[in-house]
Amino acid sequence: MFGSASKSESLSDSAVRWAAFETEAMPHVSSLFRVALWLTRDRAEAEDLLQETLMEALSSFHRFAQGTNCRAWLVSILYHMQSKRRRTAARLHLVSDAEERIAETTAFEPSTPQNVTDEEVLGALERLPRTFQEVVILADIEEMSYKEIASALEVPVGTVMSRISRGRKLLRTELASYANTHGFGRSTQHRISEKESLREP
Amino acid sequence: MQCREFKEIADSYLSNELTIETNHGIIAHLEQCADCRQDLKARRELRGKLREAFIKAPENQLQSEFADRLSTQLHEYSLGKRGAPLVSPRRWQSSMTRKQRTWLALAACLLLAMGLGLVMVRKRLVTPKAPGEIAVSKPKPNDSPEVNPEIPISIVRTELAKSAVGDHRDCAIKFRLAEKPIDLEVAGQKYDPVYINLTKAVLSQQGAAPLDAQFVEAHSCVFEGRRFAHIVLKYHGQVVSFLVTDFEPTKGVQPESVRRSADPQVITCSQFDGYKVSCFETAHHAVFIVSDLPEGDNLALARALAPSVFAHITRTENLT
Repeated sequence: MFGSASKSESLSDSAVRWAAFETEAMPHVSSLFRVALWLTRDRAEAEDLLQETLMEALSSFHRFAQGTNCRAWLVSILYHMQSKRRRTAARLHLVSDAEERIAETTAFEPSTPQNVTDEEVLGALERLPRTFQEVVILADIEEMSYKEIASALEVPVGTVMSRISRGRKLLRTELASYANTHGFGRSTQHRISEKESLREP
Repeated sequence: MQCREFKEIADSYLSNELTIETNHGIIAHLEQCADCRQDLKARRELRGKLREAFIKAPENQLQSEFADRLSTQLHEYSLGKRGAPLVSPRRWQSSMTRKQRTWLALAACLLLAMGLGLVMVRKRLVTPKAPGEIAVSKPKPNDSPEVNPEIPISIVRTELAKSAVGDHRDCAIKFRLAEKPIDLEVAGQKYDPVYINLTKAVLSQQGAAPLDAQFVEAHSCVFEGRRFAHIVLKYHGQVVSFLVTDFEPTKGVQPESVRRSADPQVITCSQFDGYKVSCFETAHHAVFIVSDLPEGDNLALARALAPSVFAHITRTENLT
């Protein structure tokens, strides 16, 4: 830092900063990459976004408050960098579509399907409107708090709470709907006996 | 609590987002209701499954080779080195949309046209148009700053000098800048190419500052929105700030507090907030030497630094 008596001390400051960054921020690289990949839908772009985010975070690491959630801080920077890359109205349009769709589905509270496979649950997540996918990923997968999500997305906490509630409900609805069509969601034993009964002449 | 009410807040219960009182209500309901217990169990399992599936999905994995290179590059970046970029120019190009490429091409054409226009204007200034007409000669890259009494050059704004003094005080003396300083060479790549190798220009060929001043640190910092290249020296036991910032000459006015020194190479600004300020200009940059030194010492240091610094900045300005 400034005021040091020699150039070598300045270099040691850089080393100290890197050591702190490596301890606090680097363990979250995989998590950040998942969010970046979800945002960009393209591996190469996600890698670029991740790189830009971490360089920005390293440059402004002095602003990170020790003891707070570093991953949430990094996700906020990632969203900021992404919004700088793409300043389009696409997201607003998606919100509008999603809200309309939600209006038709929120009255129904489906039972929660059981014994779902990885593919089924990821497929259901993929079918959610992006606005709701986003908050479900940040809350239930990346385990960020409402406040942290609100800060990253730059929306009020109330909006985050509302979207998460609707997103989770939509996910269950998608899975329940898929179960009705494809036959999962009941016990495995039930499905086996059903298949066996179909084989009987 | 009714089952319907429970289903509305069951997810929040799982996330531990409810008040203690509401949690007690839920627990009491679950003790009585097997269906809701089953539903809560299913929700918990679904959430776990979702998290596990998403995190473990092969397509969501960061390649270890990329992660290693990224870590190395960030480490080098933190030390002020510029490692090989991970983003290839080809990928950058392919990631641009057609619309972005069109705008980029238009911007390039515009810049080219502006450059050509500038060259023509300069040519007109250098070449005498008619016999007897006086041409204003273009300064050579290695020229030192001059003060020609016939030409009103070297307009230094009071605001700039005040900013330089503020930066010296808040950064070099009191260490209370809002924004942390960054490496000077990195700032050179990012903000102003004049900053690159500026430290070398300040230090002599032997790697020491003139007049036996001691080099302390070089960085780039921001004071009240203005970015400076900031090289800190120690001279006669006092902290001296050598500051470079760009400016827009067209907006400048000659402040009363600025007066020309007896030395034609340097313009001195007498005092701001008790600090001595010497300054000189190039075409696009103002250079300040700020300290608590007696005015004679401050000016002597400025005179010693001026030739190599002026040559370096002018050469870089001409290249860009």
